[in-house]
Amino acid sequence: MDETVAEYIRRTVLKIPRDEIKTMLEKWGLLSETQLQTINFRQIKESISQDVVQLCEENSVDIKQAAVLDIIYNHVYPNKRVWCVYQMKKTGEEAEFFDLTDFKKKFKGRLRSALKNVTINFREYEDNAIWIRIAWGTPYTKPNQYKPSYVVYHSQTPYVFISASVLKSNLPLLCQALVLASNYHDIREMELRSHSLNSLKDIVFKRYSQNFQTHYPRPLQERNVAPKSADLRIIQENRNEKERIERVNREVFGDGPQPKLEFAQYKLETMFKSDPQMDVLDKKEPFRCLVKFSSPHLLESLKSLAPAGMADAPISPLLTCIPQKARNYFKIREKKHFFPESFVSP
Amino acid sequence: MAAGAAPRPARRGGRREGGSNGPRREAAPGLVSVMESVEAVARTLLSFGRLSRGLPFGRAHGLSSRDPLLPLAPRSQENADPQRTAFLLRKQWTLYSVTPLYRFSNAHLRDYARLLSAFIAAEKQKGLAVEVGVELDIKVAVSSLPYLKGSDQDQAAILVQLSSRSPASPKNSEEKLIWSGWFCCVSGDNLSKNVPEDFTCLPLFLVNGAECYTSIVGSWFQKTFDCSFRRLAISPLILSWMAAMWTGCKVDKTASAMELVFSVPCLPQPLDISYAIHPEDAKALWDTVQKTPGEIIQEEVDVFMDCLYSHFHRHFRIHLSATKLVKVSTAIASAHCDGIIKFLQSQYLTGVLMLLTELAISQIE
Repeated sequence: MDETVAEYIRRTVLKIPRDEIKTMLEKWGLLSETQLQTINFRQIKESISQDVVQLCEENSVDIKQAAVLDIIYNHVYPNKRVWCVYQMKKTGEEAEFFDLTDFKKKFKGRLRSALKNVTINFREYEDNAIWIRIAWGTPYTKPNQYKPSYVVYHSQTPYVFISASVLKSNLPLLCQALVLASNYHDIREMELRSHSLNSLKDIVFKRYSQNFQTHYPRPLQERNVAPKSADLRIIQENRNEKERIERVNREVFGDGPQPKLEFAQYKLETMFKSDPQMDVLDKKEPFRCLVKFSSPHLLESLKSLAPAGMADAPISPLLTCIPQKARNYFKIREKKHFFPESFVSP
Repeated sequence: MAAGAAPRPARRGGRREGGSNGPRREAAPGLVSVMESVEAVARTLLSFGRLSRGLPFGRAHGLSSRDPLLPLAPRSQENADPQRTAFLLRKQWTLYSVTPLYRFSNAHLRDYARLLSAFIAAEKQKGLAVEVGVELDIKVAVSSLPYLKGSDQDQAAILVQLSSRSPASPKNSEEKLIWSGWFCCVSGDNLSKNVPEDFTCLPLFLVNGAECYTSIVGSWFQKTFDCSFRRLAISPLILSWMAAMWTGCKVDKTASAMELVFSVPCLPQPLDISYAIHPEDAKALWDTVQKTPGEIIQEEVDVFMDCLYSHFHRHFRIHLSATKLVKVSTAIASAHCDGIIKFLQSQYLTGVLMLLTELAISQIE
């Protein structure tokens, strides 16, 4: 077995949390039951990985097989990467039958005709998710296994989730190959990025509970679930306002759990407006700003701002539109209209 | 800082009559008249929270109620060779205030280096140092930086550097700098005036490097010179001053954005907001807000920040004023509320140091 393959396997095993190693090796299936039983999974990881490499030597594991272990790891821990969402476009509405073999053949063919040195792996999962791992090389160098790109394609949808490697120059080729293999004719990058792959899927597949505009106010009795204080001397002063805030907040964010995003970015190119009495800046050009919101769970965080008194209720639609518009990168310009308070986002 | 005192807005106009006017502050050092000094004191009492902006920064005489007499532009500003200060730029420095050092002498720097080196070695023997499993041979260098001072009364800055050489490498191989700390005092005369003979005033201490070394070096200084170190926090009020002051500075090259970072920790899910404004637009706004030549007053800083907050609110309906301002970044420097600073322009280095010295002194007093 090649030294580079051995090293790659060793490093991949080291990434896996110790308690998960056995399960992942079983999923991988390259080592037999008997072989697995010879490994002491209670040792330190360095020793476990060396044992694994030893056994792989016996089985003459090659790089393509080793790469499958990497896919398994990334499938279990997708949130270690940043995923971007792409949408493919078709001409015409023909619902074509998706042929996996044909897809793989065309995809590999397109990449290999452009680059001699690539390692390509496919793995199918439930809900029609196809995971593709690509390690990129150049005409003169072997593929870099430590910086692969990952693609998750749900064949029944036009959406592709890509975790590009650092080698961004290969992105156009990758997109080409996807479009060709899936019989679409175009692909565009959506302004939607996150670590949480599942949340991205929730957003584009509309799997979160969406907010609906209520045209009638809900009767108060329905929501009187807050336990009343046993002590009658304690009264809530702004009860009506608090309830209004809660109600409006739920209307704009929806009732269910929010998809998990870590950041949203707004490039503002709107005009600076101030009270004319303040005698400050009055330029005819936009006041250029870049605003970034970040949080372990951004939408839940934004949802809690109005009840905490830090934002008005309803909070700005620029924030609440994130799941519907399926984007978290925005460019906001002034709307050239009667109402200068409204914004357009292209 | 006069802790807890709320800044009172200054009176606009009227101040200038009956005394010198306008950019008097650019007067040559040493030519301050008695009349001016009385007026200066009066003005300080009237308006808390005024920072003078001379060439480029002035005395932060509003931050404490001390007499703001002395000339602004640190004389050594012109002499501060960018080459010599380059090593201070673009590094993250953690700030401490230091009480005056007892019986410290510039003449014994080599001895101090030797003693500190022995102390570190002793600590290592005790097992109290430093990196596990790494056997490092640590060398200590203590030097003086005479060009880093504000006025002649200031003590020259003192630089302590720890470098290491792994025992595996050959004797004459390069040493790696692993820790730097420097004491300085820029226009800290108000402190040094009031302190007895045997004491040296170097109220500001800046550190770059591992915490374990910081505590060892700090302990040695504390034991040897009977001083004490305290982390220097920077309040949101001071951060907004820095944002306003530094936005107004002219920068030769293309400036980086003026960025404010806000934190909202007490939510079920914490939130951080970064609000970056194009430096030209930020400066244009500040230039229309800042109306009194040669001075910055609290009211102007408030208006500047309110403008930025309301522009933000217009878009997002979030009240930034209800959040905590934790970091300010401009082309000149960046500052974090935990007391961390980064200098980005050598031209304004002493100016920023002057402000930081002021903050350190306020914390000591």
